[in-house]
Amino acid sequence: MTSIEAREILVLYRPGTADAADPQMAEALALARQDPELGRWFEQHRAFQKAMRAGFRQIEVPAHLKASLLIQKPAQRTFLTPQAWWRRPVWLTAAAAVVVLVLGLAGAWLKPRIPDRFANYQSRVVGAAQLAYRMDVVTNDMQQVRQFLASRGAPADYNMTQGLEHLQLTGGGRLTWRSNPVTMVCFDRGDKQMLFLFVMRRSAVKDPPPKTPQLTKVRQMLAARWTQGDNTYVLAGPEEADFLKKYL
Amino acid sequence: MDFQSLVDLHYAALYRFAMSMTRTESDACDLVQQTFLTWATKGHQLQDTSKVKSWLFTTLHRCFLESRRRLTRFPHLEITEAEAELPNVEPDLVSHLDAQEVLRLLSQVDEQFQAAVALFYLEDYSYNEIASILEVPLGTVKSRIARGLAQLKELVLRKAVPPGKATGGST
Repeated sequence: MTSIEAREILVLYRPGTADAADPQMAEALALARQDPELGRWFEQHRAFQKAMRAGFRQIEVPAHLKASLLIQKPAQRTFLTPQAWWRRPVWLTAAAAVVVLVLGLAGAWLKPRIPDRFANYQSRVVGAAQLAYRMDVVTNDMQQVRQFLASRGAPADYNMTQGLEHLQLTGGGRLTWRSNPVTMVCFDRGDKQMLFLFVMRRSAVKDPPPKTPQLTKVRQMLAARWTQGDNTYVLAGPEEADFLKKYL
Repeated sequence: MDFQSLVDLHYAALYRFAMSMTRTESDACDLVQQTFLTWATKGHQLQDTSKVKSWLFTTLHRCFLESRRRLTRFPHLEITEAEAELPNVEPDLVSHLDAQEVLRLLSQVDEQFQAAVALFYLEDYSYNEIASILEVPLGTVKSRIARGLAQLKELVLRKAVPPGKATGGST
């Protein structure tokens, strides 16, 4: 091994790690002990490595980060998607079933049934986008999103508007509304603002929207809704005058 | 391992890695949040529990690339010729580096080298593990680290010597 070859190897040496166990590294270290010029370079390099390493490890972690991570434990971060009931203890599932049954019967007797109106659906999905949303698949490849959705029984045959074709896809997910699968496709507008496209079968609601997009304000967001073929669409984004129109 | 134990063990290291790449506290926190959220939904698919930490780092790095829209892969550079770029840096020039200065220097290094350099200094991972986390070949990782270090040294020298008077050539 020449001095130059040893230097190439020693560039990647980290004191105090398992690097020294590497046979090539060990040979280079031995040469640095014998070659004064290489030895001087290596001492300087070690000092540089030590200082940089110490600097990186001084990066302070915000005090609030851990708490904010723990507040949002996994079970609390799922929304609209049913919880994995089969993972729960049997007794808990049974008790929950009884409670649901009792409440369901009471609800049926005491209150008018919540209508399966499109406005309710739209409010729910837009609220989900506004408060917290989870992408099941994070990708810029629409084909991947469609494959994932199809595998989960959600509408995967949705049509993209011309405006949306030009936006950056960030991923998608499957939601449910009243047991109906809902497709969520997420786009980045480029200024840290997101656009959400929700797709559900028109048969899931009594009053699907018309074919021509209608704009409404929903929960501090702007939403467009329309029906095309067998699907209903909701496109939601920041509340800005006329901004949605260019994506329709 | 329960969720709290997982957070306890890894959140600080993940944050430092995220901060090395984003240099913004809020963005780094978002990346860590997203990483644990991904764990919550997909972590059960990981069969080998000894790979939890590297899985988290890989996930965070993917989230970062996604957030930066780095859709094109960085070129796979081999390690040859990287050594010629490595200048000498006197120990005095780096003896007082703090985290802020280190992050500032790293921000000026080519973006494609930054993650590898950050992992190199933050964690005692082997080069094979770093390659696995960043999902690039071993030679590429070594090259990125070597070139990243060379750029860091140049930046330290440039900071110490006013432009036009630099004397720290390659040796």
